Amino acid sequence: MAPSSRPLSPHLSIYRFTLSMTMSIVHRATGIALMGGMLVLLLWLVAAAIGGGFFDGVNWLFGSWFGQLVLFGFTFVLFHHMIGGIRHFIWDRALGLDAAGRETIVRVALGCSIALTLLVWAVFVWFK
Amino acid sequence: MIERSAISNPKTHYGSGKKATKGFITQRATGAFNILATLFLVWFVVSLSGAADAAERIALVRNPLVAIGLILLIVSASLHMRIGMHDVIEDYVSKGPRNALANNANVIFAVLVAVVSILAIVKLVFWG
Repeated sequence: MAPSSRPLSPHLSIYRFTLSMTMSIVHRATGIALMGGMLVLLLWLVAAAIGGGFFDGVNWLFGSWFGQLVLFGFTFVLFHHMIGGIRHFIWDRALGLDAAGRETIVRVALGCSIALTLLVWAVFVWFK
Repeated sequence: MIERSAISNPKTHYGSGKKATKGFITQRATGAFNILATLFLVWFVVSLSGAADAAERIALVRNPLVAIGLILLIVSASLHMRIGMHDVIEDYVSKGPRNALANNANVIFAVLVAVVSILAIVKLVFWG
C-alpha cells in the first residue's frame, strides 16, 4: 500500500471543549513554553560563563519582580508538563482511558501541578 | 475506547513505523528521565537563590555532580523538545517545503541550545 500523506489536525473550533482536551492542548503549550524555558536556563549559564557585570545584571534580573514572575510561570509550566507526562505514561499502559478514568486523571493532574507549584514557592520562597 | 491489542498492532501505524517507534521510545525514555531532571532543576534554582553571591553560584555549577546533572538535563530536554515540536509541526504544517524548513529550524534550535548551554558549563568547570 502506498503511504498516504498524513492528515492535518482539524480546526479546533469544530470540537466542544472538554477538560481532557483542554489539558491536552495545555500539555503542548507548556511543552512549547519549556523550549523558551531552556533559553532562560541558557541565558543564566552563558551569563555565568561570561561573568562580571553581565552576570550580576542577569542575577539581578532573576531577583526582580519580573524575573520572579517568569520563574513562577516556569515552575508551573514545568510541573504541569511533568505531571502531564506521567499521565501519558499511565495512558501508555492503556489504563484509565474510559470516560470516568480520563476525567479523574485529568483533574488529579491539574490539582497536582497547581499544588506542587504552590508547595515549592511556599517552602522555598514565601515562608523560607 | 483503545484496547491494548490496538496499541500493539503494527498495522495501526501511521507514517514511518521505524522512525515513529524510535521517536516514541526516545520521547518516553527522555520523558521519564526528565522527571528526575525537573526535580534536580528545581533544587538547583532554589540553591542558586540561596547563594550569598555570584562566586558561590559559580562554585555550585563547578561541583562535578551538579555539572554532570545539568549536562544530562540539557541533553535529555533537547532530545525531548525536538520530538515534541516535530509532532506539533507534523500536525499543523502539511508535507512540503514549509514542513521541511520548520523541521530543520527545530533541529537547529535543539542542537544550538544544547551546544551553547553545555559549552558554558564546560567553560565554568574547567576555567571558572
